[in-house]
Amino acid sequence: MNLPSRRGARRHQLGVESRARAWRRHHLRMAVDSARRLRERPLASLMTMLAIAVALMLPAILWLVLSSASLLDRNLDDSAQMTLYLSPQLSESRAMEIADRVGGMAGVDATRLITAAAGLQEFQQRLGTGDTLALLDDNPLPATVVVQPSSRNPEQVQALAEQLDGLEGVERARLDMAWLERLRQLAELGQRLVIALGVLFACGVLLVVGNTVRLAVESRRREIEVVTLVGATHAFVRRPFLYSGAWYGLGGGLMALVLLFAGRQWLSAPIDALARSFGTHYTLPALGLGGSAFLLCCGTLLGLMGAWLAVDRHLAGIRPR
Amino acid sequence: MAMIAFEHVGKRYGGRFEALADLNFTIERGEMVFLTGHSGAGKSSVLRLLTCLERPTRGKLSVGGHDLGRLPVSQIPYYRRQIGVVYQDHQLLFDRSVFDNVALPLTIRGVMPEDARRRVRAALDKIGLLHRENALPIELSGGEQQRVGIARAVVNKPALLMADEPTGNLDPQLSADIMRLFEDFNRIGTTVLIASHDLALIARLRHRVLRLREGRLIGDEEAA
Repeated sequence: MNLPSRRGARRHQLGVESRARAWRRHHLRMAVDSARRLRERPLASLMTMLAIAVALMLPAILWLVLSSASLLDRNLDDSAQMTLYLSPQLSESRAMEIADRVGGMAGVDATRLITAAAGLQEFQQRLGTGDTLALLDDNPLPATVVVQPSSRNPEQVQALAEQLDGLEGVERARLDMAWLERLRQLAELGQRLVIALGVLFACGVLLVVGNTVRLAVESRRREIEVVTLVGATHAFVRRPFLYSGAWYGLGGGLMALVLLFAGRQWLSAPIDALARSFGTHYTLPALGLGGSAFLLCCGTLLGLMGAWLAVDRHLAGIRPR
Repeated sequence: MAMIAFEHVGKRYGGRFEALADLNFTIERGEMVFLTGHSGAGKSSVLRLLTCLERPTRGKLSVGGHDLGRLPVSQIPYYRRQIGVVYQDHQLLFDRSVFDNVALPLTIRGVMPEDARRRVRAALDKIGLLHRENALPIELSGGEQQRVGIARAVVNKPALLMADEPTGNLDPQLSADIMRLFEDFNRIGTTVLIASHDLALIARLRHRVLRLREGRLIGDEEAA
């Protein structure tokens, strides 16, 4: 009687190829068998999957909200642009000259000149009153140059603003840095919230799957005992449970996707109407193909891990003393 | 080299109760040996050590040259695949057919289905239950269940076959039949160790008998 060496164990008596075939066959059988076991108790399985779905959905929703906010954030990022108020009595050609010169400077992406007349017209439109301003003799508005810096770095933008402030013909350069800074910190906070929530709910999925699989292990305790007695390895014992865990996770992930899609459909009509009343257009963000695949992968992996933890705790208890 | 060698083996439970004390004996390859004694004498402890369900607290126990006290946990399954064990309570899976129960050790080892089928049929034929291969264990009598347990133990053609009270609840005729099965396996070279307290039956069979009392070996009678 000879025990195989540690690595050579698999080669003992049976060829490597036929072992690999047997291994694949067992995997396939366990995958099908564990799916069948889930189907035998549809309500219990669906409840578990629903719990997983909820745990996966919450961080996903927060992430969606944040990513839609970062779309806004991109618009608001334009507030990194600065406004140069030119001296009031400057001629239009002189203003154009200044705009051109600033446009050619290092660190400036683009400039846009708003002449005094154009500014007045825009102001009038915004107010929606044609007459009030007509009472004024002179146009009180100065010509302005909107500058788009090439850098988003707050310090560089600040330095550019100071440089432009000293330019001849420029009365004042205005830059709302505080707003920009606040926005950045909000985005940072949001990201950390998503991570924290993600970790928290991942633990939730682990617990849900772990507990469900623990019950399955408990109900098949005798079977585990018997197969261990006739020489089953831990991997062999673990396999069917890992597949159930993965099925739970995958099912939960699919359910989360369905619920997210349904929720989006349900909310889109009122949000569309609301956006239209503000004269803008807004579409609810969706996970997309990549995001959906990521969600499914997360669900499956967490299911697998939860099952692993549950089975291993049981296996650790049946070592020889 | 001996198949089984106990060298000063002791087993304590919970640091106090001494189930086995300073056990010394060897069983050679191809021997057929009975292990006997009253309940609580240590028969089951010996079998639990030999199946690696427990480890000795003292001494050295080797089977087929392997020191079971030091066998890594990861190697235990591969060790168990090389021994055949018949359990007193049969340890059958009641939701699977007789065929599947006997095929279990082969399934675990990854034997191809065609090959496994042939070997399971051969084992079932040997114990005379080929016609019940599709039955569930619950449909069988106690003696038949015991025979299914034997078929499962020998389907791997182990070099060492062990049995714990294999005739426990059987009538004398069935018990004799079961023992004849073990003798058949012994005749083709299998080392056989049977724990039993059926002294009358053991006496009739004329094999080596190891007697245990309170965890100690008190008798080692060679085959008459």
